[in-house]
Amino acid sequence: MRNPPYEITLKPYGQALLELARQRPEIICLGADLTRQTETDIFRDALPERFINVGMAEANMMGIAGGLARAGHTVFVNTFGVFCTRRCFDQVAMAVAYPALNVKIVGFMPGLSSPGGPSHQATDDVALMRALPNMAVVEPADALEVRQAVAAIADRPGPVYMRLKRGETPIIFDDNHRLDLDKAQVLTGSGRSDVCIIAAGMMIPAALAAARLLESNQLTVTVLNVPLIKPLDTPTIVTAAMHSRIVVTAENHNIIGGLGSAVAEALAEAGLGVPLRRVGIGDVFAESGSREFLFQRYGLGTQNILDVAWRGLGLDRPVPSAPLIESSTGAYAPV
Amino acid sequence: MAGRQQAICDLRRLATGIRLNATRMVAIQGFGYLGQALSSAEIFAVLFGSGLLRPGRDRFVLAPGHYVISLYAVAAEVGLLDPRELESYGKDGALLEAIGTERTPLVDLVCGSLGQGLSGAIGFALAAHLAGEDRDTYAFVSDGEMQEGQTWEAAMFAAHNRRRMGRLVVVVDVNNSQVDGPVTSVIAIEPLAEKWRSFGWRVLEVDGHDVDALSSALASRSAGSEPLVILARTKIFGPVRSLPSSADGHFIKLDAALERALIVELEAALA
Repeated sequence: MRNPPYEITLKPYGQALLELARQRPEIICLGADLTRQTETDIFRDALPERFINVGMAEANMMGIAGGLARAGHTVFVNTFGVFCTRRCFDQVAMAVAYPALNVKIVGFMPGLSSPGGPSHQATDDVALMRALPNMAVVEPADALEVRQAVAAIADRPGPVYMRLKRGETPIIFDDNHRLDLDKAQVLTGSGRSDVCIIAAGMMIPAALAAARLLESNQLTVTVLNVPLIKPLDTPTIVTAAMHSRIVVTAENHNIIGGLGSAVAEALAEAGLGVPLRRVGIGDVFAESGSREFLFQRYGLGTQNILDVAWRGLGLDRPVPSAPLIESSTGAYAPV
Repeated sequence: MAGRQQAICDLRRLATGIRLNATRMVAIQGFGYLGQALSSAEIFAVLFGSGLLRPGRDRFVLAPGHYVISLYAVAAEVGLLDPRELESYGKDGALLEAIGTERTPLVDLVCGSLGQGLSGAIGFALAAHLAGEDRDTYAFVSDGEMQEGQTWEAAMFAAHNRRRMGRLVVVVDVNNSQVDGPVTSVIAIEPLAEKWRSFGWRVLEVDGHDVDALSSALASRSAGSEPLVILARTKIFGPVRSLPSSADGHFIKLDAALERALIVELEAALA
C-alpha cells in the first residue's frame, strides 16, 4: 500500500468502461444530463451510437434500461447516487431488481463527497439498494479497484449498484492489487487484534490512518476493505471480528442501513458478543460544504475512528490526536 | 406615464445589480452558477422589485435550488437580506449555500432535486384555498427540469383543480441551458406554449429580459380562471458581452480577468 497524501487519477471509471465496451458490443451507456460529471463523455465521443442521454428523467431511464437489458444488452446507467436510488426507487425495484436484469447502476458523489447539500448527497443509497432482492452493492476504494470493478460488475450476472467518488480518485493500493468482488480483504493485521476496522470506499484512507496511529500506541489492528457490501463476505468479517476486542465500522453513509448495519447483522447472527461501534453519518441530513469540512463536521474523520476505538477499549490514557495530513493540489488526503 | 418609465428604469437597474452581486458571489470560489443569475436577473427583479409579489403574504417557491444565487442577489438589493451576507456565499458553514436547502432564508420552498417545485407550490395553493386566505403562489421553474415527468403530473393536477388553486403563477426561465448543454440538444421540450396550453394552463410568452413585458404578464395574473404560466424566453448570459460563448452556462469557471471584465461592464451599465 502507498502512503498519504495519495496520488490521484482522473476518470478511471470512464476509461475502463470505454475499454470494456470496445470489447463487448452488448454494452450500452445511459445517462441523465450529467455526462462529463459521470466520466462518460469519453464514451459518448468514442461510441456515440451506444451512448444515450435521456435528459433529466431518471425514472424513464430505469425503464429504458430494463427494456434494453431484457433484449440482451448489458446496461450501465450513470448519474449521481441520489438520483439513481432515491429519485426512482420503484422503477429500480420493478424494472431492474425484480426481473434481475443486467443493469449496472453507477451512482457518483457518495455520502458527503458532494458539496451540494442534502439534495445531492447520497447518504442512504446503500441502504436503499441493499434492501432490494437481487441487487448487489459495490463500493471500490481507489482508482485501481474502480478500473477492475467495471469488468467485475459486467461479469457478475444481474443488477449491481456501484457508488463512486467523482473526479479526483486516489491511488491507495500497489499496482499488483487485485479486486475480488467476492471477498472482503484484510489490508493490515493478522490473527488476534485489539481493534478490527471494517471500512469501504472513501473511508479506507481514514481507516488506514487510524490503524497506523493505534499501532503506534501499541495496539494491534486489523483493517478490512469491503468493496462488496452486498452480498457481504460474512465468513471473513466474522473471523476477523471473532479475534478482535472491538469492531469499528467506517462508512461515508448514514449509520442506518449501510455497511455498519450489514456488519451488525452478520455479527449478531453469528452469535458474537464483540462490541461494535459504527462511524458514519449520525442519522441526519447534512449541509453544503467541502469534503474536508463535511467529513469533519459529520464525524467521518480519522479522529472519529480513533475516538470510538479508544473509548470502546476503555483505555484511560488520552486519545491520540490524528495529525492533519496536508494535501497539495492534485493529491488526496484522509480527513 | 413618467412614473411607469421610472419604474421600468428602476427594474432594469435592479437586474443589473443582481448580475453584479452574482458575479461577485461566484468570484468567491471562482466557479459557480453564474449563468442562471445572468439569464434570470430581470425575472427576479420583477418578482421582487415590482411590488406584485407580497413578501410575507404570498408564497414563493424556487424550484431549481441552484438558482438561489439570483434570490440572494435580489434580496440584498431590495432590503430583504443584509448585503454583507453575500460575502460568505458558498463557503463552508455559511447561511447562503450554493444550492438551496431547508435552511435557505426567504423562500417557502426550495428544491435542490429538480422537477419537484411545482408540486410543492400546488400544496401551498391548496392550503391557502382551504384556509380561505388571500395568498398568491409564485413558482419559479427552469426549463431543463421540465424533462422530469413530475412537472407534468403537477401541471395536470393544477389545471384539473383550478378552482382550488387560488392565484397560481409559474414563471419559467426558458434559457435553453442544462448541464449537458442546450436543452434542444439533450431532450427537446418544445413546443412549450402548446404543451402547457394543452395541459389546461393560460400561457404567456415574453422576452425574459424585458422588465416591462414581464411586469405586464405578472400583472395579468387574475385575468383567467386557469393557472398562469409565464414562459420567459432568455439568453443564458443575458445582455452580457464579456463572457465568451464557449463559457459553461450551467457551472462557469470565472478567472480573475473574466471577473474583472464582467464587473467593469456591469458597473458601466449602472453608471
